[in-house]
Amino acid sequence: MKLQVTQENLNRALSSVARIASSRGTLPILANVLIKTSKNRLSLSATNLEVAITHFIGAKVGDGGAITVPARLMQDFIGSLPEGVINLELEGTKLHITTDQYQSVVNGIIADDFPVMPTMNNGSSWKMSSGVLKKALQQVVFTASSDETRPALTGVLIRTSEGELVMAATDSYRLAEKRLGKENQNIELLIPATSLNDLLRIIGDSDEEVKVTHNEQQVLFQVGDIELVTRLLEGSYPDYQKLIPKDFTTTVRLKRADLISITKISGLFARESAGSITIDVDTEKKKLSIRSVASQLGENTATAQASKVTGGGSITLNSRFLLDALSAMTGDEIVFGFNGKLEPTLLQDPNDLDYRHVVMPLKS
Amino acid sequence: MEGRSVQLDDVWQAVLGEIEVSLSRGSFITWFKNTCLLKQSEETTVVGVPNVFIKHQLETKFGDLIIDTLRKQGASVNQIEYKTTPLASRSRVLGEENEGEQPQLTTNVIHQSEASLRQSSNGLNERYTMDNFVVGDGNELAFAACQAVLQQPGIKYNPLYLYGGVGIGKTHLIQAVGNALQVRNPDAKILYIATEQFVREFVMALKKRSMAAFVNYYRSADALIVDDVQFLADKDKIQEEFFHTFNTLHQADKQIIMSSDKPPGDIAKLEDRLKSRFAGGMSIDMHAPDFETRCAIIHTKAESHQAELEPEVVEYLATTIQSNIRELEGALNQLLAWCEVRSLKPSVAIASSLLQVHKARPKHISAKQIIERTARHFQIPLEDMLGPKRDKDIVVPRQVAMYILHEELHLSYPKIAHELGRKDHTTAIHSVRKIAQLSQIDVSLKNTMDNIKEQLYA
Repeated sequence: MKLQVTQENLNRALSSVARIASSRGTLPILANVLIKTSKNRLSLSATNLEVAITHFIGAKVGDGGAITVPARLMQDFIGSLPEGVINLELEGTKLHITTDQYQSVVNGIIADDFPVMPTMNNGSSWKMSSGVLKKALQQVVFTASSDETRPALTGVLIRTSEGELVMAATDSYRLAEKRLGKENQNIELLIPATSLNDLLRIIGDSDEEVKVTHNEQQVLFQVGDIELVTRLLEGSYPDYQKLIPKDFTTTVRLKRADLISITKISGLFARESAGSITIDVDTEKKKLSIRSVASQLGENTATAQASKVTGGGSITLNSRFLLDALSAMTGDEIVFGFNGKLEPTLLQDPNDLDYRHVVMPLKS
Repeated sequence: MEGRSVQLDDVWQAVLGEIEVSLSRGSFITWFKNTCLLKQSEETTVVGVPNVFIKHQLETKFGDLIIDTLRKQGASVNQIEYKTTPLASRSRVLGEENEGEQPQLTTNVIHQSEASLRQSSNGLNERYTMDNFVVGDGNELAFAACQAVLQQPGIKYNPLYLYGGVGIGKTHLIQAVGNALQVRNPDAKILYIATEQFVREFVMALKKRSMAAFVNYYRSADALIVDDVQFLADKDKIQEEFFHTFNTLHQADKQIIMSSDKPPGDIAKLEDRLKSRFAGGMSIDMHAPDFETRCAIIHTKAESHQAELEPEVVEYLATTIQSNIRELEGALNQLLAWCEVRSLKPSVAIASSLLQVHKARPKHISAKQIIERTARHFQIPLEDMLGPKRDKDIVVPRQVAMYILHEELHLSYPKIAHELGRKDHTTAIHSVRKIAQLSQIDVSLKNTMDNIKEQLYA
C-alpha cells in the first residue's frame, strides 16, 4: 500500500471512526482502525461489534492495500500534524507515515484479522433531512434506558404508525415521542440508543440528506461520505401509546424559560432527596410554584407566573427528569398537564404538537 | 423437545471446546460467547448467534472451522445457517420467547427500591443461635462480649468488632446475636448485611438515584450487623457513606457489630477515621478451636442432624480437620449423608476413605520446602537463611523456619539445626521456644506463620 492523503481529510475521517474503537474489549484488534484503499479512495473503519463506522476520503493511491493500526494513537498523532500532504506506505505490518517534517512508523495488525465489516446488499431505504433527524434524536434518545436487564428499553423505536414516521424511547420512568411526518413504507426498527448517539456525532452540523437502509437485522445510515451500520435490537417494544395521557384534570401554560429557571433552583435543594420536587398549581392566582426540602440544608419555594391554568393541585416529580424534558424542547411556551398525584404527566410545546414528553411522578 | 436441545447443547459444547483451543482467548470469547446450536439435521444446521456482527464474522471467517469441527463430532453438515437470536442459548433453554414486555410506566425509582429493600427480611439466618454456638478457648472472650451486648445492646461494647481467620464462627456468632436481639424485641429493626452486599446496594442506589432511601434504610436500624468489613478497603465513597451511617447509629446508642479477618488497624486502604471508630468499642480476636472444642462442635452438629457418632469417629474428624469449622461441618455432612444413603453406621474407616481430600497434613512436604517458602515469604535469599549472617532481619525468619519445622514435621532439634546449617542443636531449642512464646503475644507473627503454612499446603 502506498498513497498520499491530506492531513485534513485523514484527521476528519479518524475523528469520526476512532471513538468507537475500544481497547476495553477482549479482542485487541477492536482498538484498531482499518485503513483500506478502494480505487482512488481511502476508507477508514472501526467497530465495537454493535456498530461499525466507515468514512471514505479522497486520496492519491499508488499501490492498493489494507492494514489496521491503533486508533487512539493514529488520531492523536495525525491530529497534531500540520496541515498538508501525508505519505502512507506499508511495509509488512509497519505503516510508515511521512511528511516534510515527520517520519514515523506505526506497528499494525494485518487487515485479515479485522472483523468483517457488515454489508447491506438488500433492504429497503428512505431518506430524510439531517437537520430533522438530528433534532428528533436529540429530543428522544436520552430517554432510553441504560438498564441491560431490559434490552428492549435500551433501544429507540423508529416506526410508521398511521402513515407517519414516529420515533420513541422510554426508560419506564419517562417517555419521549417525536412525529416525523408522512412515510408510506412500513417501518419498524428498534435501534440501540448508544448507536444513535454515535450517529448524532457523525451527523454533526452536516446539512446533507441521510439515507437509511434496513433489513431485519441491521440498519445502515449514510451521511455524505460516512456510513454507520448498527445491529438492531430484538424483542418487542412495549405498547407505549396507551401510557400517554390525553385528558387532564390540571393543565398549566407558562413560559418555558421561567419553568426551567425555577426547576433549576429547586433542584439545588433536592439533591439529598433524589431530586424530588413538589409542584403546586394555584388556579386563582394563576401561578405554578415548586417546593423542595433538604432536611439538612434548608428548603426553597420558587414561583412562576402562568398564562393559563385549568384545575389545581400538586404533584411530585424528579427535577432532573423535568429539566431534561424542558431542555429538549425549543418553543417559548410549554403546557404541563397532570391527573392527580400518581398518573403520568405530559409536557408539550403548544406550537409543536409533534413532540410529546411523559414523566412519571414520584410518590410523595 | 427438551431431550433434543440437551443433545444439541452437548454437541455444541464439544465443538466449542475444540474451537477454543485453536483460537486466541480474545477471539474465542468475542466470537463464540452466547452462541448455540439451534438445529442439526441431514439437510441444515442452524447456529444461533447474539448479533449480526458476530453472524457476518462467523459466516466469512469461521465457517469452515465450524463445519469441520461439527463433522469431527460426527454430525453430518450440508448447509449451515447463522441466525441471530436474542441471548441465544438462554431463551432456548427456558423454552420461551422473550416476548411481550409489559409497559411498566407506573412505579417510580425510589419507591421501587425501597419496597424491595423492605421486602427482604433482616438478612439473618435463623439457623444460627447463641445456644448452638460451641464455646471453647479460642472464642470464649468473643462469646462473653456478645452476651454482654445482649444484656445491654448499644451501651456496652459498642461497636463490637470480631476478627479472625476463615471458618472459625464469626458469622455464626454475630448472626446469633442478631437473632437473639430480634427475639427479645420483635419490633426492633435488626439488620444483618455482608459488606459486599452493602457495596452492591450502594452502587445500585447511586445508579437509580435512590440514595435517600438507601441512607434512610440503614440509618433507621436499631442494630446493624456487618459481616466482612475488610471488603470496605479501597472503596472511598462507600467508606464515607459507611462512616456517616456508623456515626448516626453510634450517636443514637444503636448497637453495631462487625466482623473481619483482620484487626481494624491492619485493613489496608481503610480511612483512619473508620479504623479508629472500629477499634473504639471492643475488638476481639477469635482463634481456631482447640481439639476439645472441635469435638464439642462435631457433637452439636451431629445432634442437630439427629445422628449419633462413636467417640472414635468424632476424634478422627477433629484430628483430621484442624483449622476451619466450615470444613469440619462439610466433612461431617458428607460423612452423615454417605452413611444415611447406604444405611451404614459412621465409622473411622468410612470417614478416612471419604476424607482423603481433607487430609490436612500431607507428608510430602520436605524440610527444604519449608525453609524455601519461609525465605521467600520474608523475601530474603535462601543462602542467607542457611549462611552465617546474624542480622535481625535474617535471624527471625530463620527462627520461624525452625519453629515450623518443629511444629509441622516434628523433626528432632539436632536435625532442625542441621537443616538450617547450624552446628548446635541448642540454637534450635532456643529458637522454637522463642517463637512459640512470641506467637502467643504477637498476632502479626502468628498470621505470618499461618500464611506460610497455608501456602505450603496449598
